[in-house]
Order: sequence, then C-alpha cells, then structure tokens
Amino acid sequence: MTEYFGTTVADIFATMPKRFKPEEAKEVDIAIGYEATGEGGGKWKATIKHGTLKVETVDGDLTGCKTTIHTDAETFVGVTLGKIGALDALSSQKLRVAGDPKFLMLLLPKIFTPYAAPEKKPVAVTARDIITTIAERFRPEKAEGVAMTIGYDLTGEGGGRWTIVIRDGKCAVRGGLADPLTVKMTMEAKTYTGMMVGTIEAVTAFTSGMVKIEGDMAAAGATAKFFRKYVVPGATEAEELISLRVTNAIEQRFATGPVMGRWFAGLREKKFLANRCPKCGRTQIPPREICAWCRVRVHEFVEVGPKGVVTHFDIVYFASPDPLTGAVRDTPYATAYVVFDGSTEREAVTMDLKKEDIPRLKEGARVRPVWAEVTTGSYRDLIGVALDEQEESL
Amino acid sequence: MTMQEDHKDCFVLEGKMALPNQYFAGRLGSRFLIAIRDRKKIMGLKCNQCGKTFVPPREYCEKCWTKIADNWVELGTEGELVNFTVVRYGDRHLPKKPPYILGQIRLDGADTPLVHIVEGIDPREVESGIRVKAVFAAKTTNTIMDIDHFEPV
Repeated sequence: MTEYFGTTVADIFATMPKRFKPEEAKEVDIAIGYEATGEGGGKWKATIKHGTLKVETVDGDLTGCKTTIHTDAETFVGVTLGKIGALDALSSQKLRVAGDPKFLMLLLPKIFTPYAAPEKKPVAVTARDIITTIAERFRPEKAEGVAMTIGYDLTGEGGGRWTIVIRDGKCAVRGGLADPLTVKMTMEAKTYTGMMVGTIEAVTAFTSGMVKIEGDMAAAGATAKFFRKYVVPGATEAEELISLRVTNAIEQRFATGPVMGRWFAGLREKKFLANRCPKCGRTQIPPREICAWCRVRVHEFVEVGPKGVVTHFDIVYFASPDPLTGAVRDTPYATAYVVFDGSTEREAVTMDLKKEDIPRLKEGARVRPVWAEVTTGSYRDLIGVALDEQEESL
Repeated sequence: MTMQEDHKDCFVLEGKMALPNQYFAGRLGSRFLIAIRDRKKIMGLKCNQCGKTFVPPREYCEKCWTKIADNWVELGTEGELVNFTVVRYGDRHLPKKPPYILGQIRLDGADTPLVHIVEGIDPREVESGIRVKAVFAAKTTNTIMDIDHFEPV
C-alpha cells in the first residue's frame, strides 16, 4: 500500500473499530461511503447504528450511503492526520462531500478518537551497514579517471577497518586496511555514522579534529561526490533545503583632504600631528580644519606624543564580527582613551590596546605607540598602543 | 574667493567592507530550484480555486488566499516574452555584460511571468510576443541562474 505522511488509507480504516466510541454513537444511524482515488486508495463503507460500527471495503458503487466522501488517497490521509486542513481541502475541491459536510465534521470527532500514525522506531544504523552499501551508491560518472584507495579506521563500538577501492569506474569495499592507501581516515564509528546520516556536519567533523586524515587531504574531501547519499532504510529522506552563503564586499575610498591628510602624513613618519587652535589653544587630534569650539580656522600643526597616558578605557567581551572580514573578533579587546604628551588635557584619542596588556591596564597607565613594520600614510600604520614597559618598571 | 590649498598631504585611503550574508531560499523556493537543477523542469503552484498558476512559487494564492503550497504543476520550458527591458549599464554585481535583455517570460501553463535574461537576439530587434525557451546551465549553483538564459525558439 502506498504511504502518505507515513501511513496508508487502509491503516485508517483498519483502526476504525478500535477508535470507535459506542457510547457517543447511541443516537446515530448513518452509513458513510468513502472513495479515495489514486494509489493506495479504494472504497469503504462505515455503517454506524445504535452504538455499533461496521466497516467494509466496497467493490463497485457505494450504495445505500446517506453521505459519501470523495477525495484522493493523499488528501484523505492528510486530512485525517490534520496535516491538511479539512476546510482547505473542501474549498480547493480536493475533498468533496455528497450530503451534509458540516454534520459530518461535527459527528466524526465525537464518535471516533483521532487516528495517530503508528510510530516508527528509529533504525539503529551501524558503520558496517553504511559501508556495505557503498558499492551500490557509487556514481561511476562522477569518478571518471579516478584511481584511489581510501582506508577507514573506525574505532569504538560498531567500528572496524575497511578499504574502498575506486578504479576504472568501479568501486569495491574490502575488509581491513590495504597498503598503500591514498588517504586514511581515522575516527570514531559513531562520528562516521553521524556524518553519513546527517546528524554531524562533515565540515565540522573535519575541522574540529574528530576525523584524523593521513595522506591526500584533497582526496578525502572529494570522496563524498563519488557516492549517492546514504539513506537509512525505511526513513524518508529529509527534504533538501537551499541556503546560500555569500560575502559581499563594499569597496570604499576615503579622501582625507589636506588637514586630515597631515595626520596620515605624520603617521607615515611615526609622528602624531595635532593642530592648535589660535583662539583657545587646544590641540585637536586628529587635526581638523576648524576648531569645533571657537569656529575659527586652525593653521598651526604641533607634534604631540609619541607617548601618552590612558584616561579611561573599555574592555569589550562581546564577540562582534569584524566588518572588514566578517570573521568574529578576538575577545576581549580593549579600547583605551589616550592623551598624548604635549596635548591639551581633554584631547583624548581612542586607541586599540595590545591584547596581552589588558590585564595590567589601569587608568593613568603610560602607553607607547605600536607601529606597523611599513608605514604608508594609512590608518593601518598605527596598530595601537602598548603599556610602556620602561616607565612601568621605574 | 579662491583658497590656496596645499595638496601634498592629501591621501586617498582604500577600504573594503565585507558583508557576510546567508540567504535561505525557503521550502518552496528550494523545491523550485532543485527541480530546475536536477530535473531541468520549471515548476509552478496552481490555485484550484482561481485556476491561476504562479511562478516563482508562493505559498498562498494572491487573489483568494487559498493555501497552494502543495499543488505543484509542471510548466513548459518555453513561453512568451511578455515584456522586457535592455540593461545598458555594467556593474560587478550584474550577471552579464551590458547590453543584455532582461525579460518577463510567461511560461506555457503559467499565469505570471518569470524574470530572466534573454539571449540570442539583438537588443535592437527584440520585441514582446516572441516565443522563447529556457537554456539550462551546465554548471549549477543552486540559484535561478541554473536556467542560464532564455533564447528565441
């Protein structure tokens, strides 16, 4: 019989007497005809009279039935299990009722307990079960010109040693490990079965060290495509869902202009260039064209630092993605607010602090700049600041 | 007033911002794409109530809100070009080099048009109403580009 949603039409009728509630049906006198078309369908008649139920299969016409239900087998099972809404099925004409549908929809739930599909026990699959199906899952068209021997050393319960030989468009499985092998994979048997039935992601298993690979790494990665996916006997294959991972890149160009440009020119020479307001005397860092307080043009550049003092800081534990790469940032990281020597007192700049120095970071700590090996006049020239060891030891 | 500016220290800094994304095609979208990828078939969803067939697939009929998610029907791989535009600018995110034709193709058996690229005809000569057929991609990518393009029959 053809199964829909894991059950058959015949199952549903076969369990009807068990699900019948005679005490609820004392007043009922009705004969209901069922016609389920398509594979696994058929005709049935249920006669309910004074608390008794008779279910019979019918050949030919459904005669003597006050109400008849016509549908395809799949919809019938779907509606019975609640997988398809009865109203949806009625309105889409997939389910047709000759007689009074409303009466039926009220009556049936009253006199029958709902049908539940028999639960299937999950089949315990062993590594051996999977390995022995390898030859029949082989796809010669994907392995043209491929010659390799793949050894599996599966440890733990249900494990064993096997060698898969692919040559001349043929595939064979042998017990034991051959010598030489193109690649040998060692893992726990349960890791292997997990990967094959899909409970363990192969990529995770490979990258997390659950699988030890000796020999040709590329060959190990390529093996999957030579075989059709293993399907647990009796299980319905999980529906394939498509999910795409894409990393889009936005390229940006930032023109510094002449004033901010002096800051980057300074970084190239490993100097911090601020500009001093002619009115209030504060040192703007990074420099700006106009003093934001006095609203006057600023022309005079002064060198500050290179050492400075930490006024306050943040330590960040939240693993946010780095917007430049999408990779998760290494945590914790610290952002220190540094006032460089020679700056006016409130002109703090935010700087990344060397990771190793985070535990010793305090307000008032002295820091020195950490420069890139090659400085080109870019924000990459200054890596950050580090605690100034010389002054620390004083 | 012209201002005398010293451009000696003007820099242009290059930056690149990466935006990692994951796009889930959905249950119906997946079935639609898999049919194209594995069986070279274009599937639509039909509303029995209205008789309308939708492609790309959608869960509910847009007219009567009937759930049509399971009512798959196979459409033809040929259809009529009902509308088009000619893309005349190039950018890296675009699938083809300009100029190319972006058409709305009503496949045989469908009531809604599918947007795709039309090739094999000069953009100056293309007109609505011509018959086109799908050409499937040799290399599949799990996207709508598993149909490489449509071309005149």
